[in-house]
Amino acid sequence: MKRTIALVAGLFFATLAAAQEPPMIRFGRGFAAEEQMWLMSVRKDLTPNQDKKYRLNQILFQANPQRFQAYLAGELDAGTAPGLSVIFARAQGIDMKVVASICQEASGHFSTTYMVKDDSPIKSAKDLKGGTIGVVEYKTATDLWARAGIINAGLAPDTDVKVFALPFPAMGEAVRSGKINAGTFVEPFYSQQMAQGGLRKLFTAREAVGYDHELLDIWFGEKFLKQHPDVVRAFLADYVAVTKYYLANTDQAKRDLSKAGFVRTPVDIYVKNADWKRDPNGRLDVESLKKLAAFMHDKLQWLDKPVNVDAMVDQSYLPR
Amino acid sequence: MRRLRPFILIILILAAWETAARSGLWSPLLFPSLERIGKELWLFVSRSDGWWQTWVSLYRTFGGFALAAIAGVALGMLMGRSALVAELLDPLFSGTYAVPKLALFPIFIFLFGLGSLSKVALIFLECLYPMTIITYHGAKSVNPVLIWSAQNMGASRLRTLARVVFPAMLPYVFAALRVALPVALIVAIITEMISSVDGLGYLVSYSLSSLKTDRMLAIVVVISALGLALDHALVALRNRLVYWERLDTFYV
Repeated sequence: MKRTIALVAGLFFATLAAAQEPPMIRFGRGFAAEEQMWLMSVRKDLTPNQDKKYRLNQILFQANPQRFQAYLAGELDAGTAPGLSVIFARAQGIDMKVVASICQEASGHFSTTYMVKDDSPIKSAKDLKGGTIGVVEYKTATDLWARAGIINAGLAPDTDVKVFALPFPAMGEAVRSGKINAGTFVEPFYSQQMAQGGLRKLFTAREAVGYDHELLDIWFGEKFLKQHPDVVRAFLADYVAVTKYYLANTDQAKRDLSKAGFVRTPVDIYVKNADWKRDPNGRLDVESLKKLAAFMHDKLQWLDKPVNVDAMVDQSYLPR
Repeated sequence: MRRLRPFILIILILAAWETAARSGLWSPLLFPSLERIGKELWLFVSRSDGWWQTWVSLYRTFGGFALAAIAGVALGMLMGRSALVAELLDPLFSGTYAVPKLALFPIFIFLFGLGSLSKVALIFLECLYPMTIITYHGAKSVNPVLIWSAQNMGASRLRTLARVVFPAMLPYVFAALRVALPVALIVAIITEMISSVDGLGYLVSYSLSSLKTDRMLAIVVVISALGLALDHALVALRNRLVYWERLDTFYV
């Protein structure tokens, strides 16, 4: 009898303890340019609200469509994604909102670079006519920038210039061996290729589009935002704190991330890599998202109908 | 009723799908209804581009498959009738059969480029294994009485191979072809999904990137129909050529 009472009491208190645990944010992350997000898991000492007001479970995804599918299947509450991927998702009616910026393609900072061989006769995007360009996946940011560069040079993507999908690690060798004429390079591959030599810049993502714009953002499901607004605020307060720490202590932050296994590039190369622009307050460049959405609809015909970017963005959860 | 039997399970699966799609439990972006998939399928077949992309995939499939069939039958027959060739090749084939050749695709891209050649080469390699190994066992299992009879009647070694061994192992050759053909189609689609600017695999990848699950599933239906049609054609050809040992069913 005593044992039964002890068991029931144990179950009761265990249930009570579980009920008092802060809500879990199931967060779909990627594998590039999300340093602040990764740091939230590596350096919990920088996130005073973590495990008190929310718990964070970061789950790695290789591509955005899979992240959105996991969200639709009820396996994720939030995640990272390029602004244009969220525009795609909203166009398909997925109920998610962008709440903060992670990094931007901006002048004066690192910008994703399209490179050709040093001895290539291709001097500008116009010279790509009849050639090929490598992007990491179709209908991604790298595809959009490549097409923007081609269109702005007066050429037609797919007709004048073939666009091939290739993984980032294969891009350098593909350009060097002449399998493609130009390739897309992000960090750390950009620095590795520059150190190796033999390649030169054709244009950057910033130059292709013509204005500073959002690269990677944080999104939340609308249901989670409505159910747990304070949790999202606490999470974003920590996120902004970590972003400020990262910007002030980039070298140390990168060493911590490398040690924790979030980055596989040799640490000496990684700490020297140029970095994208990161807003210290996580604020979004909403106008740039509007321009991207218009470009996707008007020039690329990637969207069946225009997307209301204002309805897609909600920065009210960020610290004031 | 007996004619309907092969379709019963398919109809049940489609009914379960439609029930799930209409239940409201899952997003239509994950579980599009059959109606939406049907609309996308109609769009696909009513446009010339859809047929062109199908032709591109079939051309790659048949290219790699045909080369593997020729090389695989020749190698298998030689291994089955020559102990020396079998001793040389068997360890190589047995030892590397389980290797996922798809992992070699990046190397093939660098060797043969981003176009069709790298895909055809990988299809050839993937199909070569089942073709060679099944044919090898077919060649080994030819009734020796048939061979002795041919030799007693003065047939040369080459003539014995062509007129006795090859016809006797034809059921095995067709079994190998039926194993290799779907492999060829699968590899064509996967390689197109990895890196291509055309073909059905490219369309699958493009539809996924656009979050158009209904369009992607419509293409999957086309791929399934192609696989079924090709297998039926192969079985029909087999029944014509191997008339002494007809197949009653397609999958037993």
